[in-house]
Amino acid sequence: MKRRSFLKVVSATGMMIAINPSMINQVLRADDGRLYKSYARVQLLNAEGTPMTEQMLETSENYVFNYPYEGTTTLLINLPNESAKDVSLKDEFGEAYLWKGGVGSRRTIVAYSGICPHQLTHINKKDSFITYRKKGERFEGHVVCDGHTSVYDPEHGCKVMKGKAPQPMASIVLEVGDDNTLYAVGVLGPDKYHEFFKSFRRELKEQFGSKRNAKKEVVSTAVAMRLSAYTQEVIQL
Amino acid sequence: MSLTRRELLKFSSIAAVALAATGCSLTEPTSENPESMGSVGMGTPAELAETDAPKVVIVGGGWSGLSIAKYTKKFAPNAEVILVEQRTEFMSCPLSNLWVVDAIKLEFLMHDYLQASRENNYTFFNATVVGVDKTQKIISTSDGDIAYDYLVLAPGIDYDYSEWTSDPVLERRLRTEYPAGFKPGSEHISLRNKVLDFEEGNFILTVPSGNYRCLPAPYERACLIADYFKKEGIEGKVILLDENPNITIKQDGFRSAFEKLYGDYIEYLPGSKIINFDLDNKKVETEFGEIIEFADAAFYPKVRGSKLLEIAGVAKDSRFNKMEADINVFTYEVNGYPEIYCTGDARPMGFSKSGNTANTEGVYVAKQIAAKINGKKEMPAWESPLTICFSAVAMEPILAISINAGYAYDEKQKAFGFTDVYANEKWDGRVGKNNGKGLMEWAKGMYRDMFNA
Ligand SMILES: Cc1cc2nc3c(=O)[nH]c(=O)nc-3n(C[C@H](O)[C@H](O)[C@H](O)COP(=O)(O)OP(=O)(O)OC[C@H]3O[C@@H](n4cnc5c(N)ncnc54)[C@H](O)[C@@H]3O)c2cc1C
Ligand code: FES
Repeated sequence: MKRRSFLKVVSATGMMIAINPSMINQVLRADDGRLYKSYARVQLLNAEGTPMTEQMLETSENYVFNYPYEGTTTLLINLPNESAKDVSLKDEFGEAYLWKGGVGSRRTIVAYSGICPHQLTHINKKDSFITYRKKGERFEGHVVCDGHTSVYDPEHGCKVMKGKAPQPMASIVLEVGDDNTLYAVGVLGPDKYHEFFKSFRRELKEQFGSKRNAKKEVVSTAVAMRLSAYTQEVIQL
Repeated sequence: MSLTRRELLKFSSIAAVALAATGCSLTEPTSENPESMGSVGMGTPAELAETDAPKVVIVGGGWSGLSIAKYTKKFAPNAEVILVEQRTEFMSCPLSNLWVVDAIKLEFLMHDYLQASRENNYTFFNATVVGVDKTQKIISTSDGDIAYDYLVLAPGIDYDYSEWTSDPVLERRLRTEYPAGFKPGSEHISLRNKVLDFEEGNFILTVPSGNYRCLPAPYERACLIADYFKKEGIEGKVILLDENPNITIKQDGFRSAFEKLYGDYIEYLPGSKIINFDLDNKKVETEFGEIIEFADAAFYPKVRGSKLLEIAGVAKDSRFNKMEADINVFTYEVNGYPEIYCTGDARPMGFSKSGNTANTEGVYVAKQIAAKINGKKEMPAWESPLTICFSAVAMEPILAISINAGYAYDEKQKAFGFTDVYANEKWDGRVGKNNGKGLMEWAKGMYRDMFNA
C-alpha cells in the first residue's frame, strides 16, 4: 500500500490536522480531529535499527514502540488471521468512527495504544499488564488488560469484548511504504493521552527524566522491540 | 416556619445568614407532611451557588458515591452534582489489611476529595446528612439544607451487634476496645496499633454470617497478621472464629495458605458463633461451649445498612441483613420515590459488598440518572456489576489470590447469583506474585477512576 495523500483541514479548535481522505465518510467525524489525529509519519525500526518490514514481525508476538509521544507506548501485533475491514466502532459517548483494518500483505498487522481506556493501566518500562494473548493462553487471540480484565478484539479494531472498558483501545494507523517498510502516521479513536500525562507525572519523571521529555512527539523513527525487552515484567493473570 | 423547596432553591448565602440568625427550620415536621419527620437539619440552606441546573445530590463519598458523582457529571454535564461526605479525606478499606501489617504506606490508601471534585467538575460538600424530606426533596446536613432533584444515598454499612448483645454498655465496649476494622479511619488505626504492639497470645478475629462487607477480607487479615507474627517472631496465634460452616469465598486459596504458610499461626474454627463476651477476663464463649482466652481481638459483628437509610425512611430487612435499602433491584430507585437511589454496600441484593462492585454499579446508576436528566425516553439496559476481588495471603513479597464474577438474575429464586466466575486461587510461585502485583494495579486504577478525571 502506498502512502496516501493527506488532506489538510482545520479543526473546530483551529488546529491543523491531516486527514486521510479515504477515511472521511459519514461515520468518522474527520473535521474535528478528536477521533482521528495525524502525527508525524514515523518509520518503524527493529531492535538493530533496520527499517521494519512485515517479514520481520513474528506472528502473535507482542512488540512495542513509542508513539505518538516519547512517553506513550503502542502495541504492535502481526495477527495470525486477517483482520476485518471497515469496522464501525463507538467511543464512550456513542460517537462512531471507522476502523479500516490491518495492513500488510494479509492485513494482519495492527497497532493499538498501550494505554487502557478503562482506568489507564499502560505498558511502561517497569511492567506491562497489557498483552496480546497467544494460542493456548487465556483469552487467546485477544488483547487483554489485566488491570481489571478488559478484553479487546484486535481483529476488529480492539472493540471491547468483556469487562468494563467504556470504549475500544485507540488504534495507531499504520502504512506500508513504497519500500515495504512500516510507518505509523496517526491515532484513530478515543485516545487517553491527555488523561495519561495528567495522571502519571511522577512515573514519567522517573522513567523519562521529566514529563516534558515524555511529551515530546516522536519524529522520523521509532524502534519496535519485543514487549519482553521493553518492559521489566510482563504480567498476565 | 417551613420553607418550600422552591423557596429554598432561591436562597442566596446572604439569606442563609439571615435565616441562621432567626433560627428557622426548613424541615420542621408538620402533620400535613409526615415525610419530613426525622429531619433535624440546621434549618438554613447550605452555602452553595444557586443554579437552574438539575441538581443531583449524592450522600456518601465512598467507592459508590465517588463513582456516581464523577460519571453523572460526565454523562449529564449540564447537571449540578454535589457530593456530601462527612469525612474530610478518603481512606481506602481495600488494601488496608496490608497497611495494618506495615506492608504498604498509608499514603497509598489516603486520597483527596477536593482533587476528585476539581478534576470531575462537581461540588464536594463536607457535612453529615441528618435528615431527608422526601416530599419536599430536601436533605438536612450538619452544615445546612440542600434541595435536590435526584438524590443518591450511598452511605455504606453500619454494624449490627444485636445478635451478640442487647446491652448498650457491652456494645460500646466492643466498638471501642475491639473495633471490627471494617469501616475506615480510627478502627483501622486501632487495629494496626494492636497488631504492631502485640506481644504474645491469642489474637481473635471473627467472621460474621449474612452478606457482610468484603467476604474475603477477614481471611486475608488472618493471613497477613499471621505473616506479621511469623516475620517478627511473635509468639502469637490468630484464632479465626467463623460463624459460617466454611470459608465463604476463595476456599481453596485460603485453606491452603492457612495450612501451608501459617500452620502454627492460624487456628481456623468454622461454625463458631460467640455467645458470651467476658471482656474483663478477656474470654469468649462459643455456641459449642468452648472458652477461648485472648490477648487482643477485633470482633467483626454482622453488618446492616447504614442508619441513614432508616432516618430517610428507605430501609427494609433484606434476605441477608437488617435495614438495607428498599429499592428496585434493577434500577436502584427507592420504591415509591424514583428520584431517590440507594447504592453501594447499602443495597439489599446479594452482590459481594466490595469496592469494584460499587464502582461498576455506580457507572450504571450514573447512566440511569443522566438518561433522566437528558430526557431520554428509554432507560439504559441493566448491566451487571463486576466483582474483581484480590486478597493478599502473604506480604513479602505480596502473594495474592483473586476472583472475578458478574451477576445474573434467577427468575425462579427471585435473586441474583454469580455468573462467569473466574477464580485464581494459586498463591505460590509466579502466579501468586503476579496476583500480588495485580492487586496493586487494580487498586491504583480504581483510585485513578475515583479521584482523577
Ligand atoms: C478491610 C477491608 C478490606 C476490603 N477489601 C476490599 C478489596 O480488596 N476489594 C474490594 O473491592 N473491596 C474491598 N472492601 C470492601 C469495600 O471497601 C466496600 O465494599 C466499599 O467501601 C463500599 O462502598 P460504599 O460507597 O458503599 O461504602 P463506603 O465506602 O463505606 O462509603 C460510604 C461513605 O458514606 C459516608 N457517610 C455515611 N453516612 C453519612 C452521612 N449521614 N452523611 C455524610 N456521609 C455519610 C461515609 O463517611 C463513607 O465515606 C474491603 C473492605 C474492608 C473493610
Ligand atoms: S485499566 Fe485496563 S482493565 Fe482497567
